[in-house]
Amino acid sequence: MATITTSDFKKGLFILFKDEPHQIIDFQHVNPGKGSAFVRTRLKSVKTGKVQEFTYKSGESVEELFIETREMQYLYNEGDSYLFMDNQTYEQYTVPESLFGDFVRFLKFNETYQIMIYQDQPVGVRLPKKVRLLVTEAHDAARGDTVGGAMKLVKVETGTEVSVPLFIKEGDVIAIDPETGTYVERSNE
Amino acid sequence: MKTWNKLKHNPDLFKQYFVRERVIKKVRSFFDQQGFHEVETPILIEHPPAESYLEVFETTVLDRQRNPSKVYLSTSPEVALKKLLVAGIGNCYSITKSFRNMETQSNLHNPEFTILEWYRVGVDYKDIMRDCENLFLHIAEGNSTLQFQGKTIDISPPWERITIKDAFLRWADVDFEAFLEENNARDIAKRKGYTVSGDNSWEELYNQIFLNEIEPRLGYPKPTIVYEFPGSMGALARKKPDDPRYAERFEFYIAGLELGDCYRELTDPVEQEDRFKKELEAIRWQGKTVYEYDHDFIDALREGLPECSGIAVGLDRVIMLFANVSRIQDTLFFPWGEI
Repeated sequence: MATITTSDFKKGLFILFKDEPHQIIDFQHVNPGKGSAFVRTRLKSVKTGKVQEFTYKSGESVEELFIETREMQYLYNEGDSYLFMDNQTYEQYTVPESLFGDFVRFLKFNETYQIMIYQDQPVGVRLPKKVRLLVTEAHDAARGDTVGGAMKLVKVETGTEVSVPLFIKEGDVIAIDPETGTYVERSNE
Repeated sequence: MKTWNKLKHNPDLFKQYFVRERVIKKVRSFFDQQGFHEVETPILIEHPPAESYLEVFETTVLDRQRNPSKVYLSTSPEVALKKLLVAGIGNCYSITKSFRNMETQSNLHNPEFTILEWYRVGVDYKDIMRDCENLFLHIAEGNSTLQFQGKTIDISPPWERITIKDAFLRWADVDFEAFLEENNARDIAKRKGYTVSGDNSWEELYNQIFLNEIEPRLGYPKPTIVYEFPGSMGALARKKPDDPRYAERFEFYIAGLELGDCYRELTDPVEQEDRFKKELEAIRWQGKTVYEYDHDFIDALREGLPECSGIAVGLDRVIMLFANVSRIQDTLFFPWGEI
């Protein structure tokens, strides 16, 4: 940890805000009229991904956090604990389920994910842009049910269900937006 | 790519920039219809009004022998307009370029910007609130709603009106009468979790709560007029006669954007001079550019400024609103950074 002031702010910096690690995703100088200047920031919680605004007094001190992102392979889970192995050091880390949020249902064994580490503890997960998953179970759509935009539920390789368009069949690979958990496109190779 | 180049590749984009001329023409017709005089005020001046929260642009005028003297770019047309009010011009307005230094790196500021000021003689500052409502309706050509960044704003009068004191109670859960005492303000800000250090001024504590907890709530779904500001925060505003802790000042917001700042004008030359001196002290203390305050303006006040109220409106922001763009740069053919 290092103490910095608002003049050191940069997009992407990690800081401690309300005792929790946050990333500065944007900041603006504001001059409200009387008194001195302020810096309005948009802060993303490393743990929950929630974004909020906070306005600092210009020159106010904050704690910068040195958070690293490491590539780790997902090994297995035990209850709410998810075991990962650092691809470089082979060190193992237990990541609590809460850091994944809804994404937990798309975790694939042996896949590599980006885990954020602070003081040797996992503090967050950087979600991939897209997730590709094999459809393991799909029922044919009812005959005549061809109305545009109609959806059905299929099961994917991680065991969870996803709502997809009717033309998706067992054995297809689909892409999913990890932020929302929704279907993006068919992604067969 | 510079804006002119973007326009060349995509002529449809012109529409967004032409909102500026439409808004400015509407502003002119609004005041012209009411018999206001439009006044041109100087941009290059020797004496800016002393306002410690602003930093000025300083430059040099040379006489024919190259003897230098310091001059400044005007931060607002206010003092010039008030001298004309003393002279007896009556209701008047100005649309002019103003300059404020240290205001880059912001989507809501450009160091050179367009300001609209108007003054009405013999009226209360609450009359200016009605002017604002009517002006926006006039610019919108009678449409009572406005689309801005995914929000629908109902601009039909009357707009929401709330005092600073009530706004602090409603949105920040702060007893403002108590907060007016500096020691209480420190305790309240600390309790709320803000970092409070010994050299933080009362205004900083006030502004930090206002910016974090109040401002984001203002101006939606209707424009909001916040009024009765702390007395210390209006260098040229008159104090409220029955409670001098407050100044007769209002600001109005639409969709979180601060658009205008109005005062019941201070007419007392002694108090005005006293405030200029205090502001200059603060300017020195902050290490900002120091200049001599405008003694001629104090002389004019001695002659007698008629009772009047006036307002400064950031016209670029009004244009942002009507063009439905989130950055001031997107209203300017030549924004800062491209010139």
